[in-house]
Amino acid sequence: MVMNKRIKNFIAVVVFQSIFSLAVAQGVTEDDYYRIVTIPAPENVLLEVGGVATLPDGRIALCTRRGDVWVIENPGNENNHTPTYTLFASGLHEPLGLAYKDGSLYAAQRGELTKLSDTNGDGKADVYETVYAWPISGHYHEYSFGPKIDPAGNFFVSGNVAFGDEEWWRGESKRPMRGWVMKIHPDGTLEPWATGMRSPCGLGMIDGELFYDDNQGDWMGSGGIWHVKKGSFTGHPAGLKWTGVPNSPVKLTEEQFLAKIDERKVKKNGQYVKPENIVDEKPNFLYTMKKEFPELTLPSVWLPHGILGISNSEIIRDETAGKFGPFVGQIFVGDQGQSKIMRVVMEEVKGELQGVAFDFKSGFQSGVLRMNWGHDGSLFVGETNRGWGSAGTTNSGLQMLKWTGKVPMEMKTVRAMPDGFEIEFTRPVEKSKAEDLASYAGRSFIYKYHPVYGSPTVNEEKLNFKGVKVSADGMKVRIVIDNLRQYYLHEISLPGIRSTDGSSVLHPTAYYTLNNIPDGVKLLPSELSTKRSVSAIKATPVKTTATKSKAPTYAEIEPLLVKNTCTACHNVSKRQVGPAFTDIAKRKYANERIVQLIYNPEPKNWPEHETPMAPMPQVPRGEALKIAAWINSLNKEAAPNP
Amino acid sequence: MVLLSACAYAQETPLKVISLDDLSFFKPQTGNWQIVGDVTMNPGIDIHQQVIKAPAGADKKNKKSKTVPVAEPLKAVTFVAGKGILLNINDEVKKDHIITTFEHGDIELELEVMLPKGSNSGIYLQGRYEVQLLDSWGVKNPKYSDIGGIYRNWETDPAKIYMGKAPLSNPAKAPGLWQTLKISFQAPRFDAAGKKIANARFEYVELNGVRIHDNVEVPLPTGGPVENNEKPTGPIMIQGDHGPVAIRNFRYRLMEESKVTASEITYKTYSGEFQDVSSLSTLKPVKTGTTPQLTAEIIDDENNYGVVYSGSITIPVDDTYQFVLATTGGTVMKLNGETIIDLQRGDVWRTHKVSRKLSAGTYPFEILNFKTASWMPPRLRLAVSTPSTYPKELQAFNSYPPSDNPTSPILIGVGNEPRLLRAFVDFKGDRNQRLTHSIGVGDPSGTHYVYDMETGNLACVWRGQFVDATPMWHDRGDGSFKPRGAAQFTFMNQPLAFLSSPIQAFPAMSKESEFRTKGYAIEESTGRPVFKYVYQGLEVEDKIYPDDQDRSITHEVVIKNRGTKTGLYYKLAEGSSIITLPDGSYAIDKQFYIKSGTPATVREVNGKKELVVVVESNVKYTIIW
Repeated sequence: MVMNKRIKNFIAVVVFQSIFSLAVAQGVTEDDYYRIVTIPAPENVLLEVGGVATLPDGRIALCTRRGDVWVIENPGNENNHTPTYTLFASGLHEPLGLAYKDGSLYAAQRGELTKLSDTNGDGKADVYETVYAWPISGHYHEYSFGPKIDPAGNFFVSGNVAFGDEEWWRGESKRPMRGWVMKIHPDGTLEPWATGMRSPCGLGMIDGELFYDDNQGDWMGSGGIWHVKKGSFTGHPAGLKWTGVPNSPVKLTEEQFLAKIDERKVKKNGQYVKPENIVDEKPNFLYTMKKEFPELTLPSVWLPHGILGISNSEIIRDETAGKFGPFVGQIFVGDQGQSKIMRVVMEEVKGELQGVAFDFKSGFQSGVLRMNWGHDGSLFVGETNRGWGSAGTTNSGLQMLKWTGKVPMEMKTVRAMPDGFEIEFTRPVEKSKAEDLASYAGRSFIYKYHPVYGSPTVNEEKLNFKGVKVSADGMKVRIVIDNLRQYYLHEISLPGIRSTDGSSVLHPTAYYTLNNIPDGVKLLPSELSTKRSVSAIKATPVKTTATKSKAPTYAEIEPLLVKNTCTACHNVSKRQVGPAFTDIAKRKYANERIVQLIYNPEPKNWPEHETPMAPMPQVPRGEALKIAAWINSLNKEAAPNP
Repeated sequence: MVLLSACAYAQETPLKVISLDDLSFFKPQTGNWQIVGDVTMNPGIDIHQQVIKAPAGADKKNKKSKTVPVAEPLKAVTFVAGKGILLNINDEVKKDHIITTFEHGDIELELEVMLPKGSNSGIYLQGRYEVQLLDSWGVKNPKYSDIGGIYRNWETDPAKIYMGKAPLSNPAKAPGLWQTLKISFQAPRFDAAGKKIANARFEYVELNGVRIHDNVEVPLPTGGPVENNEKPTGPIMIQGDHGPVAIRNFRYRLMEESKVTASEITYKTYSGEFQDVSSLSTLKPVKTGTTPQLTAEIIDDENNYGVVYSGSITIPVDDTYQFVLATTGGTVMKLNGETIIDLQRGDVWRTHKVSRKLSAGTYPFEILNFKTASWMPPRLRLAVSTPSTYPKELQAFNSYPPSDNPTSPILIGVGNEPRLLRAFVDFKGDRNQRLTHSIGVGDPSGTHYVYDMETGNLACVWRGQFVDATPMWHDRGDGSFKPRGAAQFTFMNQPLAFLSSPIQAFPAMSKESEFRTKGYAIEESTGRPVFKYVYQGLEVEDKIYPDDQDRSITHEVVIKNRGTKTGLYYKLAEGSSIITLPDGSYAIDKQFYIKSGTPATVREVNGKKELVVVVESNVKYTIIW
């Protein structure tokens, strides 16, 4: 132990020194503030985690996609003592959620909500009670998620849609409550709650209110978080098939929906044709269709596809009272495909919740599916990527995210203002930079509402920053923007902002979903700094290399890959959600062909990858060509035969 | 992407029937074999038990179990006159084997067999290689001498000893039930001098749908052959001296190796992103040449190429020939000037199948192929077969090699305690009859079942290994597992219901308001689940457990608050034929038996026979198979 302590002290000194020097050198990383710790498991225990629950005594319970429920004693590896795993239950049907209530664990299996109880006190479940069973057709995609438990003890469970047989791309609700959120009362009665879900993997219970996230797919332009009130319709029409049941809180019918919007069910040569993105069209948006269908619920917060996730999962609020760092009360959202966690803050504007999303922590070993709090304020992260693919290349596991005790330089939150936004920081900003409009950049955009898989970002517009006001303590900045657009996603980047000790913002981009612009007092021009230095931030070096015929280097291309979200799914040499760039290079596509594939991907070319690429017509042609040239430069093989 | 096996191909054409309308397919015998219309075997009577009652008939030199004539009044086997079933009832005098008049070399064979308790027979391919037939019901570790085993011989010369081969598992059913046997056999091969150059081989043997031998050679004749030698052909022989046996649905297909050849193969390759084959004839080839075998290896580009192969195919005899052409990319195949395959898409990997009647002769062929999808490698396979010949692969091995990424199976066994696993289960293997709220219960004894929680129904029973969860847990999976054994499915609907009349059908499934599953509790003493549901206010508990040396499954249905409402029925079984046996049990299509603790009745609903009981208090019955 003496030795351990000495080593710890030594490490602490090294870490402290390195953080100090890195911060000065602008080399800080997420790990300096939040560290991922991998929890060991016995060799024969396969943790394809579908649910994580924290027990009152601090043990962690996990359910796995293989149907087991493990209870882990000393999950945090305290005192360098490895955790102990006890099989609490087994044989469940691919459970994708786990919750604790009143001495029992509850899990959503594919076809039912099950209460698992240990009645004889031997630490193993001996009663597997069906709380409520719902019908399913037996399609593989009919996963069920949950439960989340409301303050009154009711259970919320969500159900994936199935897909069509011939129309394998079309989400279909083949049985009641597929594509729905169900509220199940403790006595086993069902209260249909809301529909419009496609793949509602992430549920969250915050202040007794239900939230869910979905990811891009047919009718889902991008991932996002919806506040699911009773009677909500969140956009995917499959579940409308059941709005005729007597207790349906959603009244919109399939017929009414199809009368207003074309689902593009088209046959050609006797076969259905998969709808593809139409570049030149006047698209529908969720907000325009909301005028037709008042029950349509807009996402409170978009999680822009490819930037803040590609397959969103658990939604959980920081209830650690500071043990997890400076983001008390804020929301964390997992992402399976990108193996990371995002941070979300919501506020109520004109009676509806909306808010902002940031990147928070990446680098998990596998797909982040479920999260829950340990009693020490650590976040336990249950992972799996089997059949789905993820940036983390391990197939499954359990990790723990621990706050190191240091406060990162971050935007703590962003609030909508009548004339722009207020950004609150975790550490004070250096005023001269914060008052310089050149420290800010931004754009706004939106997604289409159409039966195509995913959506490009459309109607993109640069934000016009007109002025800025920094609070006296340097903790807040009001930015005034003269082209706010209601319903649009506003991307705000702070490339030039520094903390008073010189740190740049760890995650310098915020995505605010401006469903409502608040009323209120606007800042007076006299209050604003309108200084705009020329030198603060220059455009990316791409422009300077634009005319060169030689293929760009990685250093030149990386900003383009990041900006256009390519790196969300592609790595240079490793297979992730999408193929490695080097593997694409081996295909020897012409540069023009790569550009064409960026705009209209052909997922069938990569049958071994599970997640299809969404069309990216928003990538500027010039940049797409540069990316293509760079990809092809990765092919070290001899040129094609003459 | 895997080479088709011969059996998968051969199933496309029907087998020849060995007519059991009479004995004309067989050589004369002393009369222990006869043609009958129906046969019933009393599963309670061991043919050896009768030895005690009958005068001892000694046949001491026989190495296998003894048997004597079936004696009155204890009849293990009864039959009715008619056609369709070949039945052996031997005695001390009449105990011939039965031998087909035809001989075979390579053969695919299917039959159904029924044995009484304790009986023993065998089916000899070429009269020389015996697949054992034995009442092996309930045997947990089958040997070469159990049903499906490849029997040993009794030679003493070490060079001639063959010790037999045990079946991979024991899917045997109870005596008196029909069991299906499928065999694909390849005869030994001999050179021109008559020297054996390849052993006889069972390509597969399947008993009750379960593969029990997979590509095993038999280097020597097994015990008791028609002649103790090996030859290119021989008759089928069925053993008749060790007890009764019945055979029906006897079918076969003679197979031989194809003599189709391809010759004079030349090729031309082209470079470019072709959309169709039209320009291939006009362009200047990148490369031309000849090749002894068809092969895509001559293509230098991985993608964006065109290639034209030409040559001749020699057809040895008049017949219907099936051409199986698998290529990556777009393909046109011409045979004797006729375009027989035409799919001009550069981004597909397809297996084309086309049949033509051809006279013996040599025909020119041409294959035009182009590929524009980089994810697949250049591949070409051309196999030719007829209804009686195995596919002849005309390409080089590397032109169509096996997948280098095979799937490792995920097999779930049972440890010291029962293993429960929920999954979708395709009833009788049919995806359209998928059970969605089903659970498999594996017992350490090796006797397992599937229970459908949506209807409270015992849907399937089997013995052997537990389940194959690969379909559920490989990659995304489809949520289902498959029983590993000869799964005996029962029926699909809810078995407990109030019926307004004795002829009313059972509901497929009650409304949610009438039927609610309550899950299950684990019984502490056994680790077994007790399933619970509520039907119209009745609280029902289902206990299901292996019984009778783990050979059967007993199902107890306990209704905690039965009350007095009448008209409550429980369905025990359904089928097209349900007969009552002397011991009071019921044979369901002679596929399985039901023994009911309370009197049951057979009724007919919607053209189906049903075995039902009126539920006074509880229900208890046993499935025997």
